[in-house]
Amino acid sequence: MLRKLIKYEFKATGRVFLPFFLSLLIFAVINKLISPADPEYWGFPAAISMVIYIMIMVGMFVMTTIIMLQRFYRNLLSDEGYLMFTLPTKTWKLIASKLVMSIFWIIASLAVAFLSILIIIYQKGVFMESWRLLTEGYRTIYEMIGASLYTITLEIIIGSLFTLVFGIVLVYASMAIGHLFNRHKILASFGAFIALNTLAQILFSLFCQITPGFAWPGHELYLQNMPNLITLIQVFFLYGILFTGLLSAAYFALTNYILSKKLNLE
Amino acid sequence: MSPILECHGLTKKFGSTTALSNINLQIERGQIIGLLGPNGSGKTTLLKLANELLTPTEGSIHIDGKKPGIETKKIVSYLPEKTYLNDWMRVQQIIDFFADFYDNFNPGKAYDMLKRLNIDPQDRLKTLSKGTKEKVQLILVMSREAELYLLDEPIGGVDPAARDYILETILSNYNENATMIISTHLIADIEKILDYVVFINHGQIVLTSTVDDIRDQKGKSVDALFREVFKC
Repeated sequence: MLRKLIKYEFKATGRVFLPFFLSLLIFAVINKLISPADPEYWGFPAAISMVIYIMIMVGMFVMTTIIMLQRFYRNLLSDEGYLMFTLPTKTWKLIASKLVMSIFWIIASLAVAFLSILIIIYQKGVFMESWRLLTEGYRTIYEMIGASLYTITLEIIIGSLFTLVFGIVLVYASMAIGHLFNRHKILASFGAFIALNTLAQILFSLFCQITPGFAWPGHELYLQNMPNLITLIQVFFLYGILFTGLLSAAYFALTNYILSKKLNLE
Repeated sequence: MSPILECHGLTKKFGSTTALSNINLQIERGQIIGLLGPNGSGKTTLLKLANELLTPTEGSIHIDGKKPGIETKKIVSYLPEKTYLNDWMRVQQIIDFFADFYDNFNPGKAYDMLKRLNIDPQDRLKTLSKGTKEKVQLILVMSREAELYLLDEPIGGVDPAARDYILETILSNYNENATMIISTHLIADIEKILDYVVFINHGQIVLTSTVDDIRDQKGKSVDALFREVFKC
């Protein structure tokens, strides 16, 4: 059932994002083609096409946020909720399908933006050169800190993903809390967003107290040793991931609880 | 076999207002039931509770012996009073959607009814008039081979000329073993298809009776009795 929900979520949102992706790539190509031409004749069109390219790029990222909000609010908390909540499926799957597609479009937008930049900066040999620099840099760090580099890279990737999930679930939970109010639902959602965000920060600072921080007697000496420092960074990342994961799960559960037990569609 | 719908001491409060108060009701299978009451009497609240769109404050509601949930949603076909159609699909796509999520949905039946009501499956839902949207929703709901149909104001938004046709559609797509609860205050239009009535007012059941009993014993039509019971 989750697979079907994701399929329809993809259909509902894809019709917005795919034209953005296509037009961004087209304008990247246009920019690439006319920028090296004679500036005397092509300066103005080149500037225009660059402005359009940037506007599409900005629009695309703004759209990821708007769609995230709109799909949750309109499809679940407005009249369309009458259809969605009477489907023979669990509420958490409705929320999860929206979360998965939101993450997908944010990552896809980043990938397309990156690709469009590559198109614009492309010159013969430039990719080979960048790739060489990148692998060389990676190897240099590897020589310094060894296999920990892999762990840290993995931690950064998972950490970014979890942070993204947390951001979206925070918004969902805020809208769910706003839904509990009879009036001024949108205002209440904003209030809930601020409250939940503040709560997350308070919990995080408490959480840091119990994790191995950078301040304990004799820590300066301990940290002068490179392997110790690397270990500490790894542990710190790990705790960060753990914290973000736990809090995301808690806010997801809160959203699920409200939409399952406290739902009150108008 | 457990009754198709059963309520015990069912109560729903919204803050300090009580929408339903201590409802006890048992609906047997194979009938068409009119859930009749004035505006704000609690009809919609009762149907929403049966669909898990609301959770009871007190008491219980069971469908086919089960609390509202995935299993009951498979056998209940619900027409809400709201238009729940999204703005990006075509009629044909919403039919695919229903076929995808409900095993008992019969697309052939849906296309047949669309044809008879002159609705083009290629039309975008966004461009349909309010009345046509209601017809599409009714078609979707009636194309499911469900055990319990819950129709909230099914004819409220359509013109009187289309009403008879829609009632006929309801009747012709309804199988004998299924049960149908129709909530409405337009009694005169719907009276002739009802087997049983439940009168509800201020969140309480006022009267339950078979339509035959009303006609035979009281010598009145349901409409006349309704006007008498709910006299302002």
